[in-house]
Amino acid sequence: MLNRREFMATSALAGAAVAAGCKAGSRTWYRFLSEHDVGSLTAICDQIIPADEFPSASQACVLTYIDLQLTRHYRRHQQAYLGGLEQANLLSRKEFGVELAAASPQQQFAIAQAVEKQNPRFFDLVRSHTMQGYYGSPRHGGNRDAVSWRMLGLDEPPVRGRAQYDFTAGRKP
Amino acid sequence: MKRVNAVVIGAGAGGGIVAKELSTAGLSVVMMERGKWYTPHDCRKDDLRNQRTTVLGNAFGPEDEGNPRVWVDPKGTVHTALPSEGSYQNNAACVGGGTLSYGAQAWRYMPQDFRMRSTYGAPAGSSLEDWPISYDDLEPFYDKAEYEIGISGDYSGTPFKGPRRRELPMPPLAPNREFGILESAAKRLGLHPFHIPMARNTVPYNGRGPCMRCRWCCGFACEVDAKNGSQNTVIPVALATGNCELRTECMVTEILTDDRGRARGISYIDGDGHRQEQLSDIVVVSSAAIESARLLLNSKSRLFPNGLGNRYDQVGRHLQGHHYTGATGYFDFDTYDDVGPGASIAICDYNHGTPGLCGGGMLANEFIRLPIHMVDKVPNGTPRWGLGHKQAMRAYHKRSVVIMGPTQQIPTATGRVTVDPAVKDKWGLPVARFEGNVHPHTYDIGEIQAKRAEAWLKEAGAVTTNLMSYRSEMVSAGQHQAGTCRMGDDPHGSVVTKNCQIHDVDNVFVIDGSVHVNNGGFNPALTIMAVAYYASDALIRNWKGTGFKS
Amino acid sequence: MRRFLFMGVIALCSLALLAVGGTYGANLYYATGHGTNCADCHEMADNVGVVHASRHRNAGCTDCHEASLATKLRHIRVHLTGSAPESIRLREADVQQMMGNCQKCHRQEYAGWHAGPHSATYSEIFANAAHNQKRRLMDDCFRCHGMYFDGAVRDVVQPQNTTGPWHLTRPKMADQATIPCQACHWIHREGSPETKPAERISVAGAAVHESVGFYDRREQMHFGAAMLTIPALYDGARVLKVSPDQRQALCYQCHAPRQPEAMSIAATNHWEPQAGSGDDRTPMGVHEGLSCLSCHNGHNESAQASCATCHPAMSHCGLQVEKMDTTFASKASQHNIHWVKCTDCHRHGVPQVKRSVMAAGQ
Repeated sequence: MLNRREFMATSALAGAAVAAGCKAGSRTWYRFLSEHDVGSLTAICDQIIPADEFPSASQACVLTYIDLQLTRHYRRHQQAYLGGLEQANLLSRKEFGVELAAASPQQQFAIAQAVEKQNPRFFDLVRSHTMQGYYGSPRHGGNRDAVSWRMLGLDEPPVRGRAQYDFTAGRKP
Repeated sequence: MKRVNAVVIGAGAGGGIVAKELSTAGLSVVMMERGKWYTPHDCRKDDLRNQRTTVLGNAFGPEDEGNPRVWVDPKGTVHTALPSEGSYQNNAACVGGGTLSYGAQAWRYMPQDFRMRSTYGAPAGSSLEDWPISYDDLEPFYDKAEYEIGISGDYSGTPFKGPRRRELPMPPLAPNREFGILESAAKRLGLHPFHIPMARNTVPYNGRGPCMRCRWCCGFACEVDAKNGSQNTVIPVALATGNCELRTECMVTEILTDDRGRARGISYIDGDGHRQEQLSDIVVVSSAAIESARLLLNSKSRLFPNGLGNRYDQVGRHLQGHHYTGATGYFDFDTYDDVGPGASIAICDYNHGTPGLCGGGMLANEFIRLPIHMVDKVPNGTPRWGLGHKQAMRAYHKRSVVIMGPTQQIPTATGRVTVDPAVKDKWGLPVARFEGNVHPHTYDIGEIQAKRAEAWLKEAGAVTTNLMSYRSEMVSAGQHQAGTCRMGDDPHGSVVTKNCQIHDVDNVFVIDGSVHVNNGGFNPALTIMAVAYYASDALIRNWKGTGFKS
Repeated sequence: MRRFLFMGVIALCSLALLAVGGTYGANLYYATGHGTNCADCHEMADNVGVVHASRHRNAGCTDCHEASLATKLRHIRVHLTGSAPESIRLREADVQQMMGNCQKCHRQEYAGWHAGPHSATYSEIFANAAHNQKRRLMDDCFRCHGMYFDGAVRDVVQPQNTTGPWHLTRPKMADQATIPCQACHWIHREGSPETKPAERISVAGAAVHESVGFYDRREQMHFGAAMLTIPALYDGARVLKVSPDQRQALCYQCHAPRQPEAMSIAATNHWEPQAGSGDDRTPMGVHEGLSCLSCHNGHNESAQASCATCHPAMSHCGLQVEKMDTTFASKASQHNIHWVKCTDCHRHGVPQVKRSVMAAGQ
């Protein structure tokens, strides 16, 4: 395994790659969410999993995950998302006079807390989907480069020699 | 279609064995399976889409579209459940059934598990009963299952077990780190820890290699085919006899009966949506407790207006699974070594013998924890989201151990499967509907089991713990589903005889977990297999050409 | 009759016209937007986005990807019938076909790869009697041999036993590469495959090209070498010095050590992988701490020529360095380059005079 310092360096690199991956290109790549939705949802997701020395939810492409699944397995949640994001923006405008995406991190935190109270169903959806996107397998669009697994100290792919299952191993037949 | 001796409905733990036993005895067999036959390549070990974490669906069926079920809460409100939701009580729909993706714990029940009523008496409101067969009746077939399916482990550490004729065919896997931590702690508490018996190759066996100890086991198909289920053991043997045909993606709609009240075959819808009939001398229902009951209840006819085998309104009752409780311990040192399958150590000290409790259950450490499993397993008091949650994930993913176990469920006649009068599946068949709840004494036992798990973790050095104990508002069945076609001598209180033959239709058999009278305090797969060997043995002995001696 | 014939001819002509027009249309479609049009519908936005920032950004999609007439017609058909899948990914056939396009620009690398062991074909790997008698074939073989193969091992080789004789079930696969370029190269990523010979002689910690990555068959995606694990390794109880060169993390994905034997001292004490186990080639002895890439160039795995980078043609012991039997596989050789120690020959310690020569040499 890497020692702590090297691990951090590696992770920083991973973070950089992640940022490049999600924002690559000059146009919007989302299928369901509009640019405005993406801004609002990023604000909420990044409160659920904020950046520290490891990437935040949006940096790990959680929005790609949510957007993709909203056109697939979570199609049934599309309206909940649109309504919930609208409500969150409304709150932000009322409280702070700005769109949620433009609010300060402290303000976004306050809005996330308010949404959790006022619309728990929507907030729980976003929370579980954010967790899935961040801690789930990268194949679904989130957890870019398995960054969260590395954060937890799990190798991906794991280093595993073939003699792990050598035919001669073992005690007795 | 050519008439055959036997139709086996369901290619899971029970059906696979029946098909193998009958076809090697020379009977012609057609095995029907509503799901697909997956190869290890198909599984791709998807942590959000498997049989355990189903947020993106079930990997091995059924799919969410067109397969609903219905459950009724205590207030009488009716809910529809999707296959990927917990309230659906799903097992699987594929060749191998649950054994393709199970964790593969392969337990024998204890002798007391077969005579629960004589040991404890039936708590008020329960339908606790004795099995009509004993541990000793089943022992030769447990042994056969252990050797034919391939079980590894080592029972030598525990005195809490029935007599065995010989050791398991394979040694246990080398201990993982949790084993080391928990073994010494259990011994200090005066408990008897030992290696969990597993349907998993630890040395080459049955022409397949041993476990490579990866992260992906419970809920997934095995990438190196080291996990033993019916799909890679008995079913290939059955097919190799040339006497058995396996039809996948075929949904059996009804068991057909004749004017004399005997079964004459089945009706099914094939993969192309065409209705077909398969005539046979006998019909074996092995579709797991929920679907077996549903098929019998949906097989209505003039002579059987309430469904086949349901003359005394017993089909679907006594539905039981296991009530899982336990605890998570948080340590100040690394407990996780990323070495699968994870679950490695168990105790059976608490299965029986606690004054005031009807039974108990085995306690074992949990299968390997994927990051997604950890999200809701952080210590109590951790914020649900935000930096605190993220830091807790980081701090505890490698420093936590889960101990839990299947609390033996006290069955009730009201916890049951019926067929819904309104909701139909994509084949137009009435779907399964759950009514009732778990007997409250089960929850009492579960609470004590959770505290026992906690004590074990604390002895092992856990700094803090989370108790996992709850009282649900719905029946419990899931992957361990059992009990809906109870085995018994009295036709008024059971569905099948001790040979798994429906009381009043002598050529229809139910051979799967449905026949379990009690479900033990253990994962039920090996007992389903042993019962399947036992019932097949009786069936073949009583087989006379194209009929039965009565 | 004539009318029918006429109608038939008209139909045929219009079909042909459609095909020709369609294929030219397809060409135009591929070229405009540089893939962004495709990404509007198919789940490939990441790939398209990334390639625009890579060193391959000036290449058109069809410079690398298959665009034969059959493919174009297939694309037209699925788009007209609305049966185009949302998720598209490279099939093995696509990857195999692309290798020819890699070769067009990267001739030297291709030639090196072709001459080396990593160009092993399906028949060399899966119909190898010596191997198959000893080890059962299993799907996990594909992790390192045939990572793009879409199917189970029983779809490649029969019979599935240890007695044989074995044959490939699809004879045309016999000469196909099991480890194509894309196994280790993430073409779309920034940077480019290594090209300059000077860069091949690694110093520890050398920059890791973004394009070097391991294609994980299960996830069906690449993981950059910069992020892969270099395991901590033990030789008995001793911690082995391992080069921090991240590029070699890629090698460890297949040439991997494993957990120590159960209940061994190593297992009880540190639970880390041990050197010399599995298919591990970690250098110990005199070469301990060197990166794989210090001696091996990534394409042609031959390392003989690299000895001269550090050693004179004649060693201090008077041996011709480039003539020594240095391979890992050669059990009888005293000069297994991965593990050779000074004391293997100098049982009583290194002679004084040689030690001073060695010191001066450094």
